Amino acid sequence: MIEREIYQEHVKKTAPKSPMMRSLIAAFVVGGIICSIGEGVKDIVKLIAPDMAKQDVGSWVSMSMIFLGAFLTAIGVYDKIGHFAGAGSIVPITGFANSVVSPAMEYNREGVFFGVCAKMFVIAGPIIVFGVVSSVLVGIIGLFL
Amino acid sequence: MKIRKGSFRLSNGVYFKSGYTIVGKKEEDGNFSGNFDLVLKNDLWGEKSYEKAECKMHREAISGAIAKSNLTRDDVDIMLAGDLLNELSASSLAARNFPTSFLGLYNACSTFGECVLVGSMLIDGGFADIVTCSTSSHFSSAERQYRYPLELGNQRTPTAQWTVTGAGACVLSKKKPNFEDNLVKSDQVIEDMNEKDRKFILDTAVARVKYEKNHVAKVVEGTIGRVVDLGIDDESNMGAAMAPAAADTIIRHLGDFDRKIDYYDAIFTGDLGRYGKELLEYILSKEGIDLSDTYMDTGASYFKPEQQTFQGGSGAGCISTVFNGYILSKLENGALNRILVVPTGALLNKDTPLQKETIPGIAHAFVVETEKIKEKYSKKQ
Amino acid sequence: MDYFLSYLKVFAVGGAVCVVGQVLINKTSMSSARILVTFLLLGVLLEITGAFKYMEEFAGAGVTVPIMGFGSNLAKGALEGAKEEGILGAIKGGLSAVSAGLSSVILFGFFFALIFKSKSKKV
Repeated sequence: MIEREIYQEHVKKTAPKSPMMRSLIAAFVVGGIICSIGEGVKDIVKLIAPDMAKQDVGSWVSMSMIFLGAFLTAIGVYDKIGHFAGAGSIVPITGFANSVVSPAMEYNREGVFFGVCAKMFVIAGPIIVFGVVSSVLVGIIGLFL
Repeated sequence: MKIRKGSFRLSNGVYFKSGYTIVGKKEEDGNFSGNFDLVLKNDLWGEKSYEKAECKMHREAISGAIAKSNLTRDDVDIMLAGDLLNELSASSLAARNFPTSFLGLYNACSTFGECVLVGSMLIDGGFADIVTCSTSSHFSSAERQYRYPLELGNQRTPTAQWTVTGAGACVLSKKKPNFEDNLVKSDQVIEDMNEKDRKFILDTAVARVKYEKNHVAKVVEGTIGRVVDLGIDDESNMGAAMAPAAADTIIRHLGDFDRKIDYYDAIFTGDLGRYGKELLEYILSKEGIDLSDTYMDTGASYFKPEQQTFQGGSGAGCISTVFNGYILSKLENGALNRILVVPTGALLNKDTPLQKETIPGIAHAFVVETEKIKEKYSKKQ
Repeated sequence: MDYFLSYLKVFAVGGAVCVVGQVLINKTSMSSARILVTFLLLGVLLEITGAFKYMEEFAGAGVTVPIMGFGSNLAKGALEGAKEEGILGAIKGGLSAVSAGLSSVILFGFFFALIFKSKSKKV
């Protein structure tokens, strides 16, 4: 039989790779479109409430984008966008919404308590933990600045 | 009879009385279209969850195989079954509908091979007369158990495979089958079903392609696989993890029985996928074994390229639906007379790759030969 | 014309950020959660180095809609909290800055999961 190292080397060399060009273009276009929608929401919010603080406008934009991502996930469209666009629909905040809503929906057959609620952060858990931990660390560093 | 470590020859051979397969719509659209007994329009089959649907497929596949062999469920001595869900839940829950002794087996996607090996040994050893072997897998239940939620918008890697939604079952018997066995029309099985279940079955696929049955198939020899691990750690590249195990089993099998590969009309491996198939050919060519064009990987051949499954089909239902649908009909109409079937499996769960374990593979081999059916039966048609 | 130019900038920068993510996926086969964490931490880093402010001025939603914006908000909130309320602010600041997004994602996730079921895939 073939040597372990030779086999691993062979697999590394010959394993099929993702089509680089096509996936990059798809990610660029879809990512760009999602960000442009965000900009559009921002302009609309500014139009409705011209006096709103910049931070609050940002909150409205994230909430709208999260709603968009969550809704497209719920009606079963977001996974198709993701299949096409890859990082183009993962990196925007809609992708974060998708990673929360999709496990919640997947496990609703196990009930609301142990299914939906317990499994909601199976994928997005690390994002929130890393986010909170890093923000507190940054805040503590900020005390000494 | 023991030939050498792990390899054995049955004293009389054990016959395939019948085979029955249930698959989903995507599987029917693939290359083996028309070879399945029952095709589901909707892979939930009217159930509340994909796990329940898989369990139902499993149960109906066993019932179908028993019906096609002109037996009742009381005639079956032992049921051997397995699947990919947690603690064999699909087959265990399916088995509660049968008044039969039950052994649950697990060797990942090679479970069907394990079932046939154990079943034929049980019968040949005189411990049972009729044994059913069945395995199932379901794309949507496997996806959530091993990978991600269905609605998560991520991309599958190009080495990934597509878990087959399907269940296949066969009936092994000590006695030589009659001509009528395995020819009972599948519509008849469907007619016995209740109205609600029937609604989800595709009309165009009520019966498989009719073929002239002039042979019966039997298991004659087998080689039980070893767990082989060459250090592949990418859980989305299972073909690479399983190919060395398949190579090991084939090399051992040929050595133990002192044969060349052209002894067989055809060699079928389980679900290595397109890339895994290349790897197996690469490893074997280094050993001077040329698989050539008599070799088919059922996973690699399962889906058409435009179905976007990348490497092809996988799962415990992959080899069992192809064997009980396509291969068995080829054996029974005399197109193939002596074949080697090598189901392959990757032995991992969701946690082992996270614990930095590499992925071991396993492959079992069994030899199926055919026997010409008696003249008086052949004429009856 | 001004509108067009600003949207072009948003599109180009947002797309470019996603392309970086796609390169990471193709080269390292990272899962989507790892990609999100990477960009989140990148956002935190850009915020504390002060670069994010200029990027936002230039591209607007092109950098705030990617999860980097979430990271930058976390860091910004924590820094402001630290300045105003000391240690308690450093702990509270980050989460309260992103609380609208976080609460809404939990809310939507909960209610959509009650109404909708996941569907099987075709490709």
